[in-house]
Amino acid sequence: MNTLFPISILSSFVLTLLIIPPLRKVAIAINLVDKPNKRKVHVMPVPLVGGIAIFISTALSFGLVIPHNPEILHYKNIFFSSVILLIMGAIDDRFDLKASMKLVIQLVIAHYVFSLGIKLESLHGLFGVHEVDDQIQYILTIIIITGVINAYNLMDGIDGLAAGIALIAFVTFLIISILTNQKSIGLIFATNIGALMAFLRFNLSSKIKIFMGDAGSIMLGFILVVSSLYLLQNTSQLHNQSSLQVLAVLAVMLVPVFDALRVFRKRMKSGKSPFYADKTHLHHLLLGLGLKHRRATLHMIGIIITILIIGLISYKLGGITFSIISMVFIIFMVTSLLHFHNKLLKWKNAIKDSEIK
Amino acid sequence: MSNRKQIAIIGTVGVPANYGGFETLAEHLIEDLGQKHDITIYCSGKKYDKKNRVSTYKGAKLKYLPLDANGIQSIPYDTLSILHALFYADVFLILGVAGAWLLPFVRFFTNKKIIISIDGIEWKRDKWNLLAKWYLFWAESLAVKYSHIDISDNEAIQDYTAARYGFLSRIIEYGADHTLKVPISNESIEKYSFLKSQYAFKVCRIEPENNVHLILEAFTMTERMPLVIVGNWDKSLYGVSLKSQYSNHPNIHVLDPIYDQANLDILRSNAALYVHGHSAGGTNPSLVEAMYLGLPILAYGVSYNKVTTENKALYFLDRENLIKEINNIYTSKLKTIGKEMEIIAKRRYTWAHIAHKYNLLIDEVLNVKTKTSILSSMANLPNKTLLKNGLAHLKTLNTF
Repeated sequence: MNTLFPISILSSFVLTLLIIPPLRKVAIAINLVDKPNKRKVHVMPVPLVGGIAIFISTALSFGLVIPHNPEILHYKNIFFSSVILLIMGAIDDRFDLKASMKLVIQLVIAHYVFSLGIKLESLHGLFGVHEVDDQIQYILTIIIITGVINAYNLMDGIDGLAAGIALIAFVTFLIISILTNQKSIGLIFATNIGALMAFLRFNLSSKIKIFMGDAGSIMLGFILVVSSLYLLQNTSQLHNQSSLQVLAVLAVMLVPVFDALRVFRKRMKSGKSPFYADKTHLHHLLLGLGLKHRRATLHMIGIIITILIIGLISYKLGGITFSIISMVFIIFMVTSLLHFHNKLLKWKNAIKDSEIK
Repeated sequence: MSNRKQIAIIGTVGVPANYGGFETLAEHLIEDLGQKHDITIYCSGKKYDKKNRVSTYKGAKLKYLPLDANGIQSIPYDTLSILHALFYADVFLILGVAGAWLLPFVRFFTNKKIIISIDGIEWKRDKWNLLAKWYLFWAESLAVKYSHIDISDNEAIQDYTAARYGFLSRIIEYGADHTLKVPISNESIEKYSFLKSQYAFKVCRIEPENNVHLILEAFTMTERMPLVIVGNWDKSLYGVSLKSQYSNHPNIHVLDPIYDQANLDILRSNAALYVHGHSAGGTNPSLVEAMYLGLPILAYGVSYNKVTTENKALYFLDRENLIKEINNIYTSKLKTIGKEMEIIAKRRYTWAHIAHKYNLLIDEVLNVKTKTSILSSMANLPNKTLLKNGLAHLKTLNTF
């Protein structure tokens, strides 16, 4: 059984490497590409096939695993839900869908996930709250699923970022699932880890670059949030001391979600739509420091790992509520400081321009 | 005599002035303002030995603090000065932004009047580390927002504070009439043989922001006249490497710092050309002094220097520019420029004139309650109303 993890990682890794080159060609032929514009950082059209490639290779890897671990079929409903989101994302990548239309589809899928029994049942002691009412469970589950999907979608702004964050999340989830003996869901994480590593090989390249597209980020966001909910539910059923797992799940989800909320609030405050496209995300702030894409991505990943560590330490010191408050506080401090420094640089450049006039 | 107010001057090293522009300014303010008001000046105990300390100087009270007035210690230095002055002063005249973090509290809880001189754009300078830059950037914003009147020393800085804060800064520069023209003596020719013929002169701290490297390089490529350059070469790696690279060049005289003012004045006042490479924000005291001496100025072409010299000097932005200017300038043209510089300096850069401007600000600050914004008064309407009427641009001065 344990050998299945390395095999799944390796098979999806190799499959992704093999699938992407032909998919690139098809994407260019049917114009499934991201064209450069003022807000975007690249200059050549880039094929948007990462999500599709990740999906195909993980699906094929599951096929390889099923004979050895039929239990994995248990997750087929989730699997089909992610196909729907993938197709929706791909259509959006090619033809642009209306935001309201996308939201409706996501809400329907979120409702379906809830009906499958995957939901947030408890706040796990946050602010002293444990189990919550059914209605509240429903509302929270729907909000969390659609919220995280969109947060991941928004995070996909620079090379390697969405995939890098997803990679950390899946590695964390894989460790949790092994520790809590939930091996079949662990296989899902393992195949995603392999596929993401292969995807990064292309995403970070300059010659054979691809993006995951909305298809990829929406699908990954969905798999991540459903996995989080699932792990939270099951580890708390299986173990009494589940808070550490709760914490780990939260830590890897916190940065994208917090950042999306921050950006929404800021846009609404200045009278714009929360979905108005601009350059105010955390990764834009890092780019504002003059960091290259890869560096900015590494910094983001560094920030997430730091937050994870701070979360664990503060949990040991003062419990779950204290831990979450300190993680949010650190994210808040980091973003404020970056914001402040960006402001300083903005004025520095403005002054430089006026000096030589 | 009831109109006499208590004025605290905070943020200088102290008087009698031995140091930079702020200290010389403080000394002249004592003479000028001291007739109308009671003045207290905070001095750095680190720079005045116990035996040299006095309790009053030219009628002003002196208070010594056991801290340095510059560098990181300027924060506690200014802070303690402000706290002490809270007990008696009516007007705070604060030079520099290091203690500005206290100003919101002073404004909220007292009726003290605050005039602050922000002294150039300090946070932008390379000599500070990142934390210091952050602090200065923040402190500057508090200084401008929470003072009754803020002072810039240069028109170009006034533009910047107006754009960033929406307040109109007052411009007060520095005086230069303490500098002396010293004729060449035989004795000095023996000491400095280059005095016999035309030479270009530069004195500054040896830092990249003063473009020392660029100027040295240019003078190795011209034979028009030699460059005499005085500075603290041994203080940084930058200086040490430049010194070793250029000290043997026939067209360049690299001199160590000269602490004897008379000697420095001989070299400075007899130069045929004054080269000014400062790029940092603000009016530089050394530039206005050279202007007062009637030296023709060849300055780095940033807005601050152009404003200081009223666009009538010579300017350069790179090495080629500089070489061209040096090679092409006629001696008669140099004389004309020098004369123009002197006329500007005698009009704008005398201490009597500068002190008078401060005097007027003190009168004004005693009669103001709040600072008026240069933004349209409509900008005070709620954001929603502005957005609805397409007027949100009134909230900002950005035109780009």
